[in-house]
Amino acid sequence: MHTMLLALVEEAAHAGPTSPFEVNFGLFFWTWIVFIVLMVVLAKFAYPAILKTTEEREQTIARQLGEAEKANAEARALLEQNQKALAEAKSAAQAMMAEAKSAAEKERAAAVEKTRQEQDELMARARREIQAERDKALTDLRREAVDLSLAAASKLIGQRLDGGSDRALVESYLASLEKAK
Amino acid sequence: MMLLQEKLNVGEMVLHHTADAWTIDLYPWVKAPIHLPRWHDVHIAGMTVNLSPTKHVVFMLLAAFLVFVTMMVAARGLARQQAGARTPKGFAGAVEGLVLWVRNDIAIANIGHDGAKFAPLIITLFFFILYCNLLGLLPHGSSPTGNLAVTAALAIIVFLVIEIGGMIKLGPKGYLATIFPHFPGLHGPGAVALSIFMSPIEVLGKLVKPFALAVRLFGNMTAGHFVILSLFGIVFLFGTLGAAAWGIGIMTALLVTGIMLLELIVALLQAYVFALLSSVFIGLMQHEH
Repeated sequence: MHTMLLALVEEAAHAGPTSPFEVNFGLFFWTWIVFIVLMVVLAKFAYPAILKTTEEREQTIARQLGEAEKANAEARALLEQNQKALAEAKSAAQAMMAEAKSAAEKERAAAVEKTRQEQDELMARARREIQAERDKALTDLRREAVDLSLAAASKLIGQRLDGGSDRALVESYLASLEKAK
Repeated sequence: MMLLQEKLNVGEMVLHHTADAWTIDLYPWVKAPIHLPRWHDVHIAGMTVNLSPTKHVVFMLLAAFLVFVTMMVAARGLARQQAGARTPKGFAGAVEGLVLWVRNDIAIANIGHDGAKFAPLIITLFFFILYCNLLGLLPHGSSPTGNLAVTAALAIIVFLVIEIGGMIKLGPKGYLATIFPHFPGLHGPGAVALSIFMSPIEVLGKLVKPFALAVRLFGNMTAGHFVILSLFGIVFLFGTLGAAAWGIGIMTALLVTGIMLLELIVALLQAYVFALLSSVFIGLMQHEH
């Protein structure tokens, strides 16, 4: 019995841990060595080959995205530039139109003014000529009237009234008539 | 056979089967347990450590070897397919899809722009843990991730990556701010006092993250094995009931099959969770301002 117990104890001592809750610190070192060696070897020999296509694709996509973004920015800048140019052209055209319109207006006003001036001048001259013509006619008429009245008077009184004094008399009379008028 | 004659202690059996061991048991094919070499204790930094390989070390090496073979076969297959300007397909295509999923949807999605730098760590964590988990579901297999020392060692690696990555990214001043937090809108001695008062909580927060990682993985793997072994224990406890034992045996087999399928999901899920949370913690540190 005693020897059997001893054998059991010895067997137990030789059999190692008896529960999963026993912690063997030696396994820490085994785990570290195994895991780190595995990771280093795989990171060097396996992962680059497995991830190669994906990483290349990722880089290509990233590069293409960057290029697209750049192209987009360029297009946007170009569009802005175009819009600015268009707006400038439009405003320039408008300014030109306004200028032309104002010039035409000025031209028209000048022409109108000139025409009126010419007309006025024409009118004035006509009036002046009419005045002169009237004056002349008046003078002629007056002279005729004097002659006629003198002739009538000389017939009437049977003598010739031809002296300068007589003429003066009639003219003064006519002048008085004119004044009375 | 001895177990059937004597009264089986199911609890002891469960603990024994989920524990690490100094032997490897391949019973029907190799009658006697294979004894692993025992080395003398060594002293590292004032600690006495025994570096003898155990059952979990053997399965860890096996898992690492299988991950290595998977990745190298996939890498060579992809290289050959690319050389022929063909789209990835077959085994290589499947591995590429998984690796890309871990890289893009776990690492880069949670770490951000620098995710690609941490991707080898996260991918290796995911596949190493996944293979360790799955090895425990094989007959004669054992999960190294059902060992607290293994999960703690992995969590310490993640912890160091989080903190050292933070120091490099944030600089000395930015990194100190993660221990002595700034409170926006507070100035003067009050802010300094509060900052110093909060620093133990911040340090605790840093330590809790890897602790949670280690315990979660260990707990999930061990618990699954507990459930399966306990259900098997039912067979031995009621094995003497005659005809009824058949019913119990069939029910148990069905239940264990169900749990095994569940364990497949858990193995994948826990590898995913470990990788995901590692990424989240690294990302949190990288974006601390």
